[in-house]
Amino acid sequence: MGPPEVHHLFHHPIADHSFSADRQTLAVARENNVDLYQRAGGKFQLKDELTGHDKTVTGVDIAPNTGKIVTCSQDRNAYVWEPSPQGWKPTLVLLRINRAATCVRWAPSETKFAVGSGARLIPVCYFEEEDNWWVSKHLKKPIRSTITTVAWHPNSVLLAAGSTDGHARVFSSFVKGVDSRPEPSAWGERLPFNTVCGEFLNNTAGWVHSVAFSPSGNALAFAAHDSSLTVVYPSAPEQPPRAVISISTQLLPFKSLVWSSESEIIAAGFDCEAYRLQGSEQSWQLAGSLESKGRPGVQDHREESALNMFKQMDLKGKVTDDTKLKTVHQNTISTIRVFEAGAGTVRKISTSGVDGRVVIWTL
Amino acid sequence: MATVNWRTINIDALDPDSPANFDLSTLTATVAPVSTADVQSLAGQIRQLLRGGDNEGALQGALENPPYGADERGKDVHLATVIEILQSIRQSDMSPMLGRIYKSPGGTEALDVLMKYIYKGMSQTNAASTTRNITPQATGFSQIHSRGGGEGGGQAMSVLLSWHEKVVEIAGPGCIVRVMTDRRTV
Repeated sequence: MGPPEVHHLFHHPIADHSFSADRQTLAVARENNVDLYQRAGGKFQLKDELTGHDKTVTGVDIAPNTGKIVTCSQDRNAYVWEPSPQGWKPTLVLLRINRAATCVRWAPSETKFAVGSGARLIPVCYFEEEDNWWVSKHLKKPIRSTITTVAWHPNSVLLAAGSTDGHARVFSSFVKGVDSRPEPSAWGERLPFNTVCGEFLNNTAGWVHSVAFSPSGNALAFAAHDSSLTVVYPSAPEQPPRAVISISTQLLPFKSLVWSSESEIIAAGFDCEAYRLQGSEQSWQLAGSLESKGRPGVQDHREESALNMFKQMDLKGKVTDDTKLKTVHQNTISTIRVFEAGAGTVRKISTSGVDGRVVIWTL
Repeated sequence: MATVNWRTINIDALDPDSPANFDLSTLTATVAPVSTADVQSLAGQIRQLLRGGDNEGALQGALENPPYGADERGKDVHLATVIEILQSIRQSDMSPMLGRIYKSPGGTEALDVLMKYIYKGMSQTNAASTTRNITPQATGFSQIHSRGGGEGGGQAMSVLLSWHEKVVEIAGPGCIVRVMTDRRTV
């Protein structure tokens, strides 16, 4: 496990970040714009800015194969950005929502994307060739509050969404003409649009911050504001799940999570550090932090000269500088993403947070 | 034309999709209603244990059956029971007892419930001492006035504060977050 690669980009919160498939371009949401950084040696340098939104950008996602970037914002709009000789060309998406958009993710097929919104619905957007426009269909039915997070199943039809009504739900977002009929799975067999394939609530009904399907798509994990993480293993369509395992942690709530394999989840949030959770259908437990203790530069007691000590006492009234956290991130981590994966396991992940840092971790 | 002050029209009432026209209680897990008499009989059983010297059993019994579905009166009865147990346990016994409860099955849940009662207890002692000490003019020197009746409340508060410290030591800040998040109140 090597040391984490830290990129301190600026002093603003990063709502969301995304890497291109070759990991050379990094897109980060910064206030009303999306900044594109290009890797130059060991650093990321600002290369381009996507301007168009006039409120805080809440989500950004780069499609790995097509390279298209989708962004969404509190101004209730989403844009799809395509590279052209004149630079990035935005196309407005007709979301038809009357509240802020909160998150956006491309489906693995890259023909659709889903946007979470405060309007208690999820626009599922796809490209209409005839009109040359991105249009949306609304997932609406049992949602009673803001959607905070969306995540796609590997088959590009099932969509998981977490909401402030405390529920994590699994929907079908099958769009005729765009999707091919999916293989039947434990979540459902026939899946017309807006089929609710699962609806899960944990004990306290705290709102959901993050949802994710396991790599196979046969399990769903969600983290809620009651500092818990719940993993659901479905049994068969229309049946209660085989197992629902919920662990209440001693930590502050997790804001984001990714599966690194079928038996391991990496989650991070208000504690400013990433944690490893391991388990199976029988049980899950917290397996420790990703931070390696005693990294150079963050030791508790550094050798101080007497002169320095008195200088500090004179200047600040105390000897040790305690304005820094011992973690790599200095504020809440808001997004975790897979950075490098192969053969069913994730080798590297990237995290971004309120402190303006993007950090790449080797697992 | 009649003048209608359109600013005061409740537009949520006219929108069938509005969250105002939706019963929010259906979103949460249902809690079975509990009658005040049941809460009282449970309190009796717990006092029996307490008199027999089984403090830990009494605490566990009280935390395993929080009357989420009871009305205000029932909830107050149970709060009084829990506070009574907390006050009868010695300071040195707190940590080992909490450690044992935390490790037992359903232990995290039990400590979350305990934390709810600690916070509720704190809010009640506050309310009691402020209502007793209403002063005609707010001078800013409120410490002087709040001394008088605050003695009894202060003692209860110090018990709750030391319990709070011990619970956070064992169940972590996650426990506090759960108290704030949980829609089932005590």
